[in-house]
Order: sequence, then C-alpha cells, then structure tokens
Amino acid sequence: MKKLRLILGILAFGSLWGITESYIGPALTDLGLPSGGIMTAVFAMSFLLLSRITFRKPGMQLGMGLVAGSLKLFNPLVAGCHLCSGIAIMAEALVFEIIFYLLSKNLDELKSRNIQLSLGIITTYSMYIVGNIITQVMTPIVQGYTFFLNDLIVFMPRILSRGLIPAIIGAIMIPIITQSLKLDIKLKDRLYYPSTISISLICWFIVIGSWFFV
Amino acid sequence: MKLGKELIFSVTAAIFLLIGTASAIYVEQNFISKDTIEINGQDLSFDEIVILAGSRTIKIDEEEKTGAPLEKLIQKLNLNCPSCSLYTIKGADGYQQTVEWEIMKTGIITDEPRVYFPETAHKFWVSQIVEIEVK
Repeated sequence: MKKLRLILGILAFGSLWGITESYIGPALTDLGLPSGGIMTAVFAMSFLLLSRITFRKPGMQLGMGLVAGSLKLFNPLVAGCHLCSGIAIMAEALVFEIIFYLLSKNLDELKSRNIQLSLGIITTYSMYIVGNIITQVMTPIVQGYTFFLNDLIVFMPRILSRGLIPAIIGAIMIPIITQSLKLDIKLKDRLYYPSTISISLICWFIVIGSWFFV
Repeated sequence: MKLGKELIFSVTAAIFLLIGTASAIYVEQNFISKDTIEINGQDLSFDEIVILAGSRTIKIDEEEKTGAPLEKLIQKLNLNCPSCSLYTIKGADGYQQTVEWEIMKTGIITDEPRVYFPETAHKFWVSQIVEIEVK
C-alpha cells in the first residue's frame, strides 16, 4: 500500500510539474520573461522540495522528472526539440536528487534559515546550468546534426550568468516552501488515492487532447 | 559540527553567486555593438547583403519570415567548396552556432539581423548576428 501511495505521488507531482512546464513556460516566454529560470526556480523547485519533505523518499524526485519530462515530450506546443526539453527536465530532477543526497540527507537541517538560503542557491543554480548544458548538447545530436563543443564553451559564460536570477529566486523559494509545510495539511487515504489519480489523468488528458487542437 | 556544515553550505552558495556575477560582468563587457555583419572577413550591411543575395520568404512556426537566402549569399563569396565548409554564426552576446552546408543552404538572414533555418530547432537561430565565419 505504501508503494502504491508513493507511485501515485510520483505520478501526480510529476504530471503537475510537466503540465506547468508545458503551458506556463511557453506563456512566460510569450510575455518576454526568462521562462527557463522561472520554471526551474519556482515550479520545479516547489514540486521537488514539497515532495521530498512530504514523502522523504530519495529517488522519488527522479521518478517525477521522468513523468514530467515524458509529459513534455508529448506536448504539441513545445517549439523546437521535444526530446531535448524532456531530457533537460529529467536532468534537473537528477541534479536535485544528487544534491539532496550529498548535502542534505537529514532534512531536519532545513530548519536553519542559513541552510535554506544556501541550499536554494546551490540547488537551483546547478539545476539550471545542467539543464541548459544538456539542451545545448542534445539538440543537434537528436536532430541528426554535429555537436560542436566550441559553441558550448563560448556560450558557457552566458549560461553561467543566466543562472544568477534563478539562484536568487531559489534562495527565496526554500524558506517559502518550508513555511507552507508548517500548515501541516494531510490528505486522508480515501481522498489521497482518488485525488492523485484524478490530477495525473487530467494533466495527461490536457496534453494529449492538445494534439487535436493544434 | 552543524556550524561547520552551515559554513560549507554558505561558502558554496557564495561561490556560485560569484561565478554567476563574474560571468554576467564578462558577458556585458564582451557584448559587441555594430551595424554591419562580418561575413568571411568582409563587413556588409543588411542592405548590401540583400543586393548580393536577393530576398526570399519562408514559413517558420506558422509565421512568414523574409530575408536574404544564405545559400545565394555564400555562393557570392566565391568559396572553393561551400559544401565542405563549416559556418560559425556569431551573435553580439557571444552566442554562436556552427552549422554544416546542409543546414546553411536552407536558411535566410533577416534585417533583425537573425538567421532562420526552417528545419532546425530554435537553438540554431542565432540573433543579433555580428559575424559569419567560414572555416
């Protein structure tokens, strides 16, 4: 039963993350905002940290990344390389897993405001940089073209500088998320199972349904 | 012990912020501002490019884009072997993409100035172009 609870949590959180990446991300781009940074710092960070603190199961966030990335693969509204943006999301989840495994095995340490701020910066900056590098490397390869390493090397200062704003937002996000968890909202089993299944199904129906309107 | 860990976290975060800030300063200081585009060592304005290569409209992401076809532009440069060359398209902010002839010949350069290739991901559409280097 505990395993099923975890799997449904992965599906629901991953689907929510995937759908925000699929619809809010492009909307932010249309508004001329740095969507990549905002998506990583606000949405990815919220879903990943909320699930980590609630379930306390290492590996769950990687599963969420696989679900969110897969959902983005199916999204007809993604401009450019579907596979690359899907893989970038999965990479962000992997980076989160590694950092939390190495730096914060004991989640009680998150009570310190200093650690919250630092961990927000470290995690968000790393997720953003790695996600960006993966996209830069994967896009030509997936499209069947040659990847030129020098193009990435020359672009690295730009990627590193763009990570600054997400890092600062990430530093603010961890204290906000940990504060919100003090509300201690718990779903009873009879509500948890139907709600997680419904959330996942709705997200996937929206994405698959979009194909009929594009 | 906890204080030691807090210190490591803080120092690492500070290093990350420093890297980001230093990179932002580097990018800002290396931003190139110019009205012409250097193509294989030759400085050309967009109007001169259109005179050389003409104009073509292509459909990209449901939108029409008009610009000078890169295939004709490169042919006017009298290269020995356009299909054996690599083309590095450089933007004012340091972003660059190297493409082979197979991609290059499908694209256009607009007055933004930006290159568009109908079959590729947006990553290849370098904007604020300052140079096209032929290798």
